Amino acid sequence: MEAYQIYSLTSAVLFAIGIGGVFASKHFIKKIIATIIMGGGVFLAFVSFAERDALNFADPVPHALVITGIVVAVASGAFALALARRIYQLTGEESFNNEK
Amino acid sequence: MSILIDGLLAILAIYLALQSLLAPRLSQSVFLFFAFGLALALAWVRLGAVDVAITEAAIAAGFLGVLFLDALRDFSSTISEKHNNTEAIQSSASRKKIKTFLLPRLAFGVGLGLFLLISLEAIWQIPQGGGLTAAAESMLPESGVEHPVTAVLLNFRAYDTWLEIGVILLGLLAIFVTGGIKIYTKPDVVAKDPLLRQVILFFTPVLFLFGAFLLYIGKSGPGGAFQAAVLWGAIGILLHLGGKPVFAMIPRWVGQLVLIMGLGFFLLMGFVFMSGGATLFEYPKAYAGTLILIVETLAAISIAAALTAIYANLNQMKEEPKENESAN
Amino acid sequence: MTIYEVITVILLLVGCFFFLAGTLGVLRFPDLFSRLHALTKADNLGLGFIAAGMALHIASPWAAVKIFFIWFFTLLASSTSCYLIARFQREQDQPGKGKEDRE
Repeated sequence: MEAYQIYSLTSAVLFAIGIGGVFASKHFIKKIIATIIMGGGVFLAFVSFAERDALNFADPVPHALVITGIVVAVASGAFALALARRIYQLTGEESFNNEK
Repeated sequence: MSILIDGLLAILAIYLALQSLLAPRLSQSVFLFFAFGLALALAWVRLGAVDVAITEAAIAAGFLGVLFLDALRDFSSTISEKHNNTEAIQSSASRKKIKTFLLPRLAFGVGLGLFLLISLEAIWQIPQGGGLTAAAESMLPESGVEHPVTAVLLNFRAYDTWLEIGVILLGLLAIFVTGGIKIYTKPDVVAKDPLLRQVILFFTPVLFLFGAFLLYIGKSGPGGAFQAAVLWGAIGILLHLGGKPVFAMIPRWVGQLVLIMGLGFFLLMGFVFMSGGATLFEYPKAYAGTLILIVETLAAISIAAALTAIYANLNQMKEEPKENESAN
Repeated sequence: MTIYEVITVILLLVGCFFFLAGTLGVLRFPDLFSRLHALTKADNLGLGFIAAGMALHIASPWAAVKIFFIWFFTLLASSTSCYLIARFQREQDQPGKGKEDRE
């Protein structure tokens, strides 16, 4: 079994943990963490495909896409965090009302 | 042997991801998330994606971790998920049970199944050596840099990178809209500790130098604008913590100029060469290497400024409610 | 196996031992201060041994200098954060405030 095969299976599990966590966790922060774990799974899949298609070096296009993706995920995560903190400051709620 | 390492690393990453969602306390969640990011970074080193590993460790684990830690000041960190769960069961209508019990498991199952199918299909069905490796390799001599990932980021798919800088700025603007613009005021929490101040003073030039090194090395090896930007952004965050908020210390227009610089120069350059008959973001071959370095430097400074501003603004959100109540 | 490799393996093993000891300390020690002690002192020593082993193994002076710097900066950062955490905890422990929130 090659390394990329192990990691592509891992990526599926991480994605599933993330998507399960989005539904299962209630606190805003945990929901944000769950979405980022989900993204991590997708990125891991990308990079393992890049490793599979390696010739002299690994496929650079997925690598570049993943770097872009990580930065975008961080930007959106920061925004989500700002929203969560704002909601908490204005209402004192730490999770969505219908999920308590 | 290598399978053992990869297997253990994979199990570690999965375990940390699970634990960071299941941990009873919020602070534990955040720290486990930190560790998860680092485990993922190790996985990327194992997959030969060193650029991605540096980016992950620096921005996803480091920067985002700092933002989460800062957010912990807001939320009462002792609240436990368990407590919430028992509450939910006590007021248990069957619909609530579906929501808290069935839905997450269903999502987990469907997500796992679909994603497994996709990755199995991609790995065992599509013949190896598809990808764009060969195309990238054949065009590499014309890109002006020697490192394929930098060539893709700054040359072949420069459009993506340009928009990415835009996305960070957009994130900053969205945070401004949510929490109000707070970066021009002095921080409420300032490190008074003399040792911490000395360490900040010591780390500032070191981080600057290391960032510049990463930026320059991106031409021929793993590294580049984003990795450098995070290190320079760390300088801004450290200075903010040390009571020297960068944005409050410089005139507003300078700050705005620095924020927009990377995006603006990138686009301006694209238009200038476009008027000479090239497509957007196509460089003249003779100067490609130099131009890429200039674009990367400006982009790195802009991204670093944006990251600093994101942190500073989130950090300042804390004392908001009082002002708001008096305003209402 | 050359003499360098033997020394590298020994250094790595010693480093791993200190890491193990440090981790055990974090898990088993009763309060924050002794845990910090285990985490920063033992682990940094372990990291130092591993760094020394790797520097020998790489055998390129430039890379060895980089590895030394990694160790040095980790040392600096971890000792500072250890000091800050301990100071924070001591302020929390001042009479009248009570002891809470230990990790």
